[in-house]
Amino acid sequence: MNTVAQDRFATTKAHFKQLFEQFEQGLNGQKAHPIHKLRRTAIQRLEDLQFPGRKNEDWKYTPVTRVLQPAYKSAALANLTSADVEAHLFEGLDVHLLVFNNGKLDQTLSNIGELPEGVEISTIATALDKGTHKEKIEGVLKGWAEGKDAFAALNMSFADNGLFIYVPANVQVEKPIYLLHLNLTASSPFLNNPQRIILAERSSNCTIIERYSNENSNGTYFTNAMTHIDLGANAFFTHYKLQQESLESFQVNQVDVLQERDSTYTSHAIDLGGRLVRNNLRTHLKNSGTLTNFYGVYLAKGEQHLDNQTFIDHAFPHCNSNELYKGVIDDKARGVFNGKVIVRQDAQKTNAFQQNSNLVLSDKAVMDTKPQLEIFADDVKCSHGATIGQLDEESIFYLRSRGLNKEAARSLLQQAFLKEVIENMDIEPIREVVESMITKKFES
Amino acid sequence: MLKIKDLRVAIEGKEILKGINLDVKAGEVHAIMGPNGSGKSTLAKVLAGREEYEVTGGSIEYRNEDLLELEVDERAREGIFLAFQYPVEIPGVTTASFLKHTLNSVRKARGEEELDAFEMLKLLKEKAKLVEMNQKLLSRSLNDGFSGGEKKRNEVLQMAVLNPTLAVLDETDSGLDIDALRIVSEGVNRLKNEDNAFIVITHYQRLLNHIVPDHVHVLFEGRIVKSGDKTLAHELEEKGYDWIKEELATV
Repeated sequence: MNTVAQDRFATTKAHFKQLFEQFEQGLNGQKAHPIHKLRRTAIQRLEDLQFPGRKNEDWKYTPVTRVLQPAYKSAALANLTSADVEAHLFEGLDVHLLVFNNGKLDQTLSNIGELPEGVEISTIATALDKGTHKEKIEGVLKGWAEGKDAFAALNMSFADNGLFIYVPANVQVEKPIYLLHLNLTASSPFLNNPQRIILAERSSNCTIIERYSNENSNGTYFTNAMTHIDLGANAFFTHYKLQQESLESFQVNQVDVLQERDSTYTSHAIDLGGRLVRNNLRTHLKNSGTLTNFYGVYLAKGEQHLDNQTFIDHAFPHCNSNELYKGVIDDKARGVFNGKVIVRQDAQKTNAFQQNSNLVLSDKAVMDTKPQLEIFADDVKCSHGATIGQLDEESIFYLRSRGLNKEAARSLLQQAFLKEVIENMDIEPIREVVESMITKKFES
Repeated sequence: MLKIKDLRVAIEGKEILKGINLDVKAGEVHAIMGPNGSGKSTLAKVLAGREEYEVTGGSIEYRNEDLLELEVDERAREGIFLAFQYPVEIPGVTTASFLKHTLNSVRKARGEEELDAFEMLKLLKEKAKLVEMNQKLLSRSLNDGFSGGEKKRNEVLQMAVLNPTLAVLDETDSGLDIDALRIVSEGVNRLKNEDNAFIVITHYQRLLNHIVPDHVHVLFEGRIVKSGDKTLAHELEEKGYDWIKEELATV
């Protein structure tokens, strides 16, 4: 008798397989490309993998059933105009702009402009053809195709329009590289699998802005993103993520960062949209003297579900990490924070700070927070904490007694609560946009 | 301007104010004194509109309007200002941006034009000078990490900016050194004119050497048990509140 447990997502996987076959038929000549071999490996691998269920500790609070239920199709192109793009530019900030129309790179609307000497921005397929960084790229793609993560395998199965960025040693990329994902539903529900592989060499300096936007706030789609960032010694890298997807959409966004000696990685993650969003942000420290900053803000209203999982592995001495996530949960929304920091035995002189603070504004809103700090070294400075609270009535009364109406007083206090995180953003034009996005969200 | 008639107030079912009568006219300064727990702060908060307090009887008429019908922020926009006994610390909101928000919402309600950033800064600097407040405090978070004196001066600064018709000072003098007390009092005295009125709630007679009241009332166990002119304050300072208690006991 067959005793294999039934796969809850068998139907979903069968659907993905069918979708893959359609996708493959449309490829024509590109079937011979080495990347397609990896896609086939990935879709094959997906059959053996399980999408996470409730028994998986890391997914306990975030059920993926809803994400995997829709019968996703390939994305059709939306009718994008330059006005759509202009509405998403940052006033007073020059950028290297890449526009993605429902996941597909739009060459006409993009404006990469002049890049510093040696900097490469291309599709992953083109980079593989060119061959210079073939081994490294293939290594990452293989990891996604053959690993244990069903979402990574799904991503690799439909890999298309993946992005490769290379910053040579000692090069400062002055203007941020702006990846603008406009997801205006043209064919609902659709599947979107962005990929990015970023190699930033020794003593380079680069900023990436990753933004997802759906102004109409409707339409069902699933953005399943994988990002790999490899930082050389002494490299300095800043990563902004501004997420304002449709309230009917889903996002699983996974970022893995490798940090060499003395490198700095800073993440600013702002999550405002999405029906269900799951972020996995992981950094792997490869040597001493590194600095890792994880800053996050999430605002969940209605029936939104926003989940942040972070992981910092201190394996070498003299490394520093700061982590500050703040969220506001209202209505029937749910927030999840699970931050894990490991300080291994050899990681002496580690400074690791982690804090997650939340405002829960309604009886039906839920926040699950789990800051985890595991320390095996003895000469370290570490702290972690989590708070869940409400708006202070005395503060509301104080503000109202000065003439602010109830809504304005509440909104001001919520913004003040988040300010401690936002003020870490060094690029003012981005910070201003984020502040106004947050204000709008509070007022919606 | 303000007519309080037989005001009764309870919190969590416990009656705190047991029939207050008070009549305040434009141009007047009224001092309300009394021992701890007599209901002074309750009266201040009820005037400002704190919702936790339940008005169980009586009425408050403010400029011919039923004050009890107005929300906290409506009262502020109608010209009522409460200087808090314990000003609240609000990290993340600078004093300057807070005052800009509030003043513009008050101006808007009065049908006046909103001030732009430049005009606002000019006004704030001018008013900060009035209360001898270091301008650096304006760009710091509201009351966050301020000393007791700085907080109270900030209350008077806000009052000066909002220019209220009726100001209620709830123990603004408590815990102040003589310099801070002088600054706070001078701020009040400069704002005083024939169109506005002040209710100064205090535990100590000392404040009334600086802000000279037209009327002094003694609040005891939820009632105004004695009213008089400023000499009453001196009498209280000399004899203490026990004198009032004894007098009441013999009645």
